[in-house]
Amino acid sequence: MKTVISSWLLFRLLFQPTAVFEELSDTRPEPHSVFFKFVVWLAVIPPVFAYIGASNFGWRLGAAEPLFMPPGELILVSIAYFFALLFAFVSTAVVAQWMATTYGARHSLGIHFALVTIIAAPLVVGSTIHLFPHVFLNIVVFIPALMWSMYLLYRGLPIVLKISPERGMLMASALIGYLLVAAVSFLGLTVALWGQGIGPSIGV
Amino acid sequence: MKMNGIGLHKKLEGNAGLLIFGILFVSAIGGLVQVLPSIFQESLKTPTGTTRPYSAVELAGRDIYIREGCSVCHSQQIRPLLAEVKRYGPYSRAGESVYDRPFLWGSKRTGPDLHRVGGKYSDIWHRLHLVNPRDVVPNSIMPAYPWLTEREANAGSDIHLKMRALKKLGHPYSDEEIEAAPAALEGLTEIDALIAYLQILGAWTKAEDTP
Amino acid sequence: MLDAVEAIEGEHYFDRVVTALVMFSVIWAVLGMAVGVYVAAELIWPTLDFGQPWLSFGRLRPLHTNVVIFGFGVSALMGTAFYSVQRTSHVPLFAPRLAWFCFCAWQIAVLLGGLSLLAGWTSSKEYAELEWPFDIAITIVWVCFAIVFFGTIAKRRIKPIYVSNWFYGGLIIVIAMLHIVNSLAIPVTISKSYSLFAGAPDAIVQWWYGHNAVGFLLTGGFLGMMYYFLPKQADRPIWSYRLSIVAFWAFTYSYIWAGPHHLHYSSIPDWVQSLAVVMSLILLAPSWATMINGIMTVSSASQKLRTDPALKFIVLSLAFYGLATFEGPMMAIKSVNVVSHYTDWTIGHVHSGALGWNALITFGTFYFLVPRLVGTALYSVRLANIHFWMALAGTMLYVLAMWGAGVSQGLLWLSLDEIGELSFSFKDIMASMPPYYALRFVAGLVFLLGAVLMTYNLYMTIRGRRTIHVRPPAVMSHQI
Repeated sequence: MKTVISSWLLFRLLFQPTAVFEELSDTRPEPHSVFFKFVVWLAVIPPVFAYIGASNFGWRLGAAEPLFMPPGELILVSIAYFFALLFAFVSTAVVAQWMATTYGARHSLGIHFALVTIIAAPLVVGSTIHLFPHVFLNIVVFIPALMWSMYLLYRGLPIVLKISPERGMLMASALIGYLLVAAVSFLGLTVALWGQGIGPSIGV
Repeated sequence: MKMNGIGLHKKLEGNAGLLIFGILFVSAIGGLVQVLPSIFQESLKTPTGTTRPYSAVELAGRDIYIREGCSVCHSQQIRPLLAEVKRYGPYSRAGESVYDRPFLWGSKRTGPDLHRVGGKYSDIWHRLHLVNPRDVVPNSIMPAYPWLTEREANAGSDIHLKMRALKKLGHPYSDEEIEAAPAALEGLTEIDALIAYLQILGAWTKAEDTP
Repeated sequence: MLDAVEAIEGEHYFDRVVTALVMFSVIWAVLGMAVGVYVAAELIWPTLDFGQPWLSFGRLRPLHTNVVIFGFGVSALMGTAFYSVQRTSHVPLFAPRLAWFCFCAWQIAVLLGGLSLLAGWTSSKEYAELEWPFDIAITIVWVCFAIVFFGTIAKRRIKPIYVSNWFYGGLIIVIAMLHIVNSLAIPVTISKSYSLFAGAPDAIVQWWYGHNAVGFLLTGGFLGMMYYFLPKQADRPIWSYRLSIVAFWAFTYSYIWAGPHHLHYSSIPDWVQSLAVVMSLILLAPSWATMINGIMTVSSASQKLRTDPALKFIVLSLAFYGLATFEGPMMAIKSVNVVSHYTDWTIGHVHSGALGWNALITFGTFYFLVPRLVGTALYSVRLANIHFWMALAGTMLYVLAMWGAGVSQGLLWLSLDEIGELSFSFKDIMASMPPYYALRFVAGLVFLLGAVLMTYNLYMTIRGRRTIHVRPPAVMSHQI
């Protein structure tokens, strides 16, 4: 079994997702190699785009003129975004690994890292829209990217983790449960912090 | 869970009557502790400032506000938050809504809070706005209410019945006031009544009273 | 169990009323959601009421909520309660004619009640808008519902009362308590009454009712559905009996206290608000315990499961249940609530529960139940799978659009500039909402179309067939 994953897989994902999943299922990757070769680089892309967009165009919440953050704060927010994404990647993989025992799925942390990376790929591609940080536009682009990711999750999970489609469906749904809760927690946490004054100073 | 706990529960599961009683008992506790005291708390039933029961015209207007579902988009409860007080005026006190049956605090602001809208806009502005909001606020998504100009304020001829019912509930209306109510609405349309209601909203706590 | 030896000559489960309730539930679902899509459109194009009072947003919005909750939701709960209580008691329905009365009277109440809302008969209290004649009618039907349900349990042939019946029982008892107290009013005319409570006490009573209508109708009742239909579909028993006990009682106890979180920063007493925060957070535990019980029931065994769209719906509904029951307590925390209150985030939260949990589990249950009621297979598995994806897409789009709109509104309303003045006017903030409302409109439309597909699918399944007769299992001497 291969222990190294080719970067080419991420591109092939667009055109031949099933083949990619099948190839992935025959690998036994190391978690740190997936993390440093792929996860870190994928996680860097959205914050970089967001930084470029926000400093050049300002955040547009639709209300009036674009909102510009002071450069120092913008850098801090972008770095926080990067670490939040790393946390998202790692925690989702760890949770998936924890769930794997229940569903009789492959247990290695590396394969879960690889699976989450593949599934998150459309979201990273979609983050290109951060170059123009209009909130509504970002949501419009994000949603089909999200649906695509969810499709990849349901399709790919059973193949990569070598379980039946039915059990794969169950595990995928449980993982979506975790992702929904994590997303809303993050929303709540940032809103609460921002309301308390811990956050970018756009006057809140 | 201890075995005798399970044993106790098996008793409950075997007896429909016990189960019903158990559910009722357990679910009633919260209401008894949290809701009941508030119903009897005097401070929540004592009017503050110049709060008084609604006059006949204002009451007719309030009931139209309810009928048209205005509280679905407009709240009437200003929170003690700086931005909110700046935007709408002094925050709402419980003593101001003691004659509100039912309360109209709302739960959504598709439109602005109206608790202190009284006196902020002229009667004519309200009239234009209600008949077609987009005439005064171009991007408004508020529905138009042209039919309010066509109907009489006392169309149901029930204003005195309403005031009598409220008197039963403790609102200090005098019999003369109730007798005079239909005459007070004579010649008025629904829009007049609604505007009269909107214009006293929040007038009962003056800005100077804000601590 | 379906083909057991005839215990009593000619005795069979009384399922025709179940079929009727399921059919009407589906009809109300489509109608209620269509009204929802219409009001969503009105929030973008306000002249869609064409100057007619009965098409005005203020009247259509309560029509939407009432039809989906009381038409779609309660019919589904009543139908599945009747179906499952018989089978968990091994005995046909008690007083089947009364059950028919419940069905007929309820549908008439929903229809006439809906029309009364269009006419402007309303108390304005959310989910309790129907005026006093309907309050009385509902109470009568509810008492009959209780009699049929508990009567069936009373004559059961299995001694222990199964967990799904505790939840349906909770639904019946607690909603009765809430409805009666919150509806207390003095009638003035046939279409108007004044509530017994005023101002702050009224607010507290209303949200004790409103939150627990969500708690015991939309959550508890549907958990009853889950506890019966999920093990049946997955063909294995509930994962943990002990967990179901602890979770049920903790749930029944703690949900009640959470109501005042709808009134944070209002003029109700502070201690009531703080208590609501604490209890809302505590509530997370039993809610999730039940969810885990459901997920583990279906996940833990290793035998092969059928690839079944019905099961996909029910399992995904548990994920959204997890989201909604997490988001609720989170929004009950004052520092989150300060931003979320009065915004579209609340609407997003409601719909993540209503679409993601309630609708999805009901759809899954119906896909499982309807073919069995008429003794055949589902007309089209492919259509059901398409519906699954449409329902998921519609729900996600709805929630994300409302999160975007709601958080923007909340933060911008509170925003002050460097000199402490308001940064934005209310109308400027709201003027930026139409794009989000457009997304929400599309989301609702997609969700509705999925439901229409389901209606067609179920219709073709039922067409030309009658509800089959199923006999209760043979009576064993040690069971009595």
